[in-house]
Amino acid sequence: MQKTTYSFFDRIRIPDYDTLKHNQAGNLNFDPALCRQCGVCIQLCPGGCLLTGTTRKMDLLSGKAKGGKYGVPHVATTRLGATLCVACFDCGAACPHGAISIKSNFNPGLHFKRLTQTNDMRYPKRY
Amino acid sequence: MNVRNEELSPLGKYTEGMPWNAVEKIIMERRSVRSFRKDPLPDSMIERILEAGRFAPSAGNCQPWRFIVVKSPEVLAAMERDAARFVKLLMFFLDYTRGGWLRRLLVRPIGKLFIRTRMNEFHPVPFSLMSKIGTGETHVFHNAPTLILMAEDRRGVSCPAMDIGICGQNMALTAHSLGAGSCWIGLIKLLMYMPWWKKRLGIKYPYRLEVCLAVGWQKPKADGIVPREVQIIEWFEGGLKDKPRYTKQGE
Repeated sequence: MQKTTYSFFDRIRIPDYDTLKHNQAGNLNFDPALCRQCGVCIQLCPGGCLLTGTTRKMDLLSGKAKGGKYGVPHVATTRLGATLCVACFDCGAACPHGAISIKSNFNPGLHFKRLTQTNDMRYPKRY
Repeated sequence: MNVRNEELSPLGKYTEGMPWNAVEKIIMERRSVRSFRKDPLPDSMIERILEAGRFAPSAGNCQPWRFIVVKSPEVLAAMERDAARFVKLLMFFLDYTRGGWLRRLLVRPIGKLFIRTRMNEFHPVPFSLMSKIGTGETHVFHNAPTLILMAEDRRGVSCPAMDIGICGQNMALTAHSLGAGSCWIGLIKLLMYMPWWKKRLGIKYPYRLEVCLAVGWQKPKADGIVPREVQIIEWFEGGLKDKPRYTKQGE
């Protein structure tokens, strides 16, 4: 089996957190056909990284958002194109309509890279 | 996706490929809940959760924990305010991921230096979380109605921090099995940089406060099964000189 290498140069180099050059950022797919725009995922996102054109996490928590349809959410990106999503999938577990799926998992680069996990995401398996 | 109660396997039995039992269901479906109802859990329920912590395994049965339950909205609001202010100050000097090019140019070397000295605290995940707290896009303590602080007795046997982890996980799983929600919060560490919080919470030698557990009613219901990365497992089964056998757990 191919093992991920962790060289001395990996060890001493801290990645830039906001670029896709160093990190594989988590990313999500929102199915516009299934999404009912209820805003549950936005409210639950640990980092407040999901937003729609009109609504952010804090609007929902503080009660500023009045209900109704908020629009299909997307993942917030930094200026250099990385997202802050870590693919924890709290949003997908709570989504009542199953509209969310993971596009890519989170794997920071260089010093912080994953060594014993592959990039495939699997649901728990009953052995 | 979630397992219905009628489909659960009985406890204390194993056959290959059987459905989850009640304990596994709670373990698989537990999500860290970060959105709570305003009303706290009843005191009896909090005591029931703490009871699970009291009976957690610990090295040499030394029980190196001290529980502090914070329910007062006034104290919780002050904790939130102080922690958020501290994060804002920190991120003003360290967060190179926001603002323009000039800010990035000036702040990135300082940020990198700090990250190098404290790799765990400034790992990409907490760093981006603090970046979001700094811009006021999320809370530190998630407006939780109750916090259970787990102070660690540093004189404990072997590795007391490990015992705190075991104890806290017992309580988290109990909370979810009772229908409540819980979330580990490590950012409470920030309050330990402020002498007035150390004094107010009574944290001095031999105690150290590194982590707390937010508990409350879930709003909306957030528990559910999620996919996770496939894990590579090494099995040492042959002789002393044999290489391990690798398997992919979960595939």
